Amino acid sequence: MTSLRPPAHRVHPRARLMWQLAAGTEVLVLAVALVATGVVADLYDLRWWMPVLLATYAVVRGVVVPTWRFRVHRWEVTPQAAYTQTGWWARERRLAPMSRIQTVDWDQGPLERLLGLANVTITTASAAGALSIGGLDQATAESLVAELTAKAEAAGGDAT
Amino acid sequence: MSDWQRLDPRMLVVEPVSELRRFLPVLLGALLAGGFARGGGLGWELLAVAVPVAIGVARYLTTRYRILDGRVELRRGLLQRTLRTAQLDRVRTVDVTASLVHRVLGLATVRIGTGAGAEQDLELDGLRAPQAQELREALLARVAHEAHAPDGAEAAAPRAAPTERPVLRLDPGWARYAPFTSAGVVAAAALLGVASQALPDSAWRLDRLPDLAPAGWGWLLLVAVGVLGAAVSSAVLAVLGYLVAHWDLTLTRTPTQWRLTRGLLTTRETSVEDARLAGVVVREPLGLRLAGAAELGAVVTGLGQGEKGTLTLVPPAPRAVVDGVAGAVLGDDRPTDAPLTAPLRTHGPAAVRRRRLRALAPAVVLVALAAASVVADLLTPWSLALTLLVLPAAIALGEDRARSLGHLASEGFLVSRSGSLARHREVLGAEHVIGWTVRDTWFQRRSGLVTLEATTAGGSQRVQVLDVPEHDGLVLAAALTPDLLAEVGYRTPPSQ
Repeated sequence: MTSLRPPAHRVHPRARLMWQLAAGTEVLVLAVALVATGVVADLYDLRWWMPVLLATYAVVRGVVVPTWRFRVHRWEVTPQAAYTQTGWWARERRLAPMSRIQTVDWDQGPLERLLGLANVTITTASAAGALSIGGLDQATAESLVAELTAKAEAAGGDAT
Repeated sequence: MSDWQRLDPRMLVVEPVSELRRFLPVLLGALLAGGFARGGGLGWELLAVAVPVAIGVARYLTTRYRILDGRVELRRGLLQRTLRTAQLDRVRTVDVTASLVHRVLGLATVRIGTGAGAEQDLELDGLRAPQAQELREALLARVAHEAHAPDGAEAAAPRAAPTERPVLRLDPGWARYAPFTSAGVVAAAALLGVASQALPDSAWRLDRLPDLAPAGWGWLLLVAVGVLGAAVSSAVLAVLGYLVAHWDLTLTRTPTQWRLTRGLLTTRETSVEDARLAGVVVREPLGLRLAGAAELGAVVTGLGQGEKGTLTLVPPAPRAVVDGVAGAVLGDDRPTDAPLTAPLRTHGPAAVRRRRLRALAPAVVLVALAAASVVADLLTPWSLALTLLVLPAAIALGEDRARSLGHLASEGFLVSRSGSLARHREVLGAEHVIGWTVRDTWFQRRSGLVTLEATTAGGSQRVQVLDVPEHDGLVLAAALTPDLLAEVGYRTPPSQ
């Protein structure tokens, strides 16, 4: 075996929608700014390549990245460890044993609340070692927190 | 010692002095303002001196501490009162420092760390020096006692006077390596910055230089003298800085601790419990490497995050000295230097290509930009020739970086080396590996490489194995934490 197998579970498909909405908002703000400065205030000549550049950015940010990200983002909880995979261009796989888990946090942004999603963050004694799983279904996230807390407690150790 | 007590009364001198120093900008401002407002008397100046002094005295009067069975408590503050408590069984590090003012008055500061980060430390600023030493001994004896408690017999038997064994004593001659670090350059740059502020602008009119300098070769001479002057002054500053910071540095082994004392003006004494020592970092920046020297840092957990979590055990010193101390620190009572001297596993051709490319690419972009500027008539062709010099430097850098790359699992330690201008070899005990991060960009995936990181609670919080082939990286991780890797179905192939 020459490579690490990916974690078992995907995040919720609605996460893709969330990333798309976030990207849509960002592109909308940029488009408004472009129209406001280039057309309304007429600070500079609006060239043809400016909207084209924005449209390309919109496609990459709103279609390519969310799809790519959804294929990468995965998570798994084994009896003795937590395992996550995140990112898109740069992929990151993180593995931490239950005995080293310090806190399990659950949080939800406004967009996530709208879509019924949540994040779970697992911290260890290393500032560079936090595992974060975004875009989980709210119920899954809650049971995951309960499961991780129970397992971390059972694993004992002083988590350092 | 169960009653609340004040710090040493001599702090009545130290506190106002340090407050005055803190108020110095305000004080200067008041003096200047007073100078402008003529005839205003000394009112403002007096106030500007009286307030800091009053704050200092108040701080002394409102600070009390007590040592109960099982904990140290520190109470301070007039309006906003705080009470800080350190449980003795949680004490991990005890530092004793003494600034010049403290030393003149025979005082010292005891800093008690409980491993919760520097902000949570309990600081007793202003005990008599012998009292500070006594407290340190008492706290550490307790830590040692706790550490040995499980073996019953040892805890029960009255232990003999702790055997202390010096491991290293600094040779002042090693200050000769100081100019090879960046410290001197930094000091000289700071000095230059101050000078540029102090001197009138006209002194920096570079366009007037040709008038001042003699024609022809004289110009070159002027530049050479300038460069030489900068080099000599930065070297002198580096040596002085080295001696002030590390004077009389001594590393001592006690049964359960490592103790480090050093300093010419401000003396510092740091004790680190064995269990907190996660590993070491051997730093060999290019200058030191060429001079046959290196620097040793200890990766300590509970010292706080960031680089602060690294304690300099050996300042720039001959390589053999650094290896010897590192071996003693890693091996505890049976020195081992395998993690430091054993040949490393190389990362293969793909990693070498990547190092070369990443060093060369920025240089090529720079040259291309310069060439474009020449074509556009923005730069003289002469400057393009100068830019071309970047290419060989970049090639050399890439080669050296590629040569540096290597990793190893040796005697229960993770060993990783990388870098060129700031080459370092990191050694981390397997039991201090908290987890693993495997990172790869699209480019890295194409060449089958990953950047493997072992996360830890000390030093820079991680030890990185740069651009390792994924298979080799996993073999390394599985060698150090087999159970953890087995959790995700990875087992070391039998052939390994």
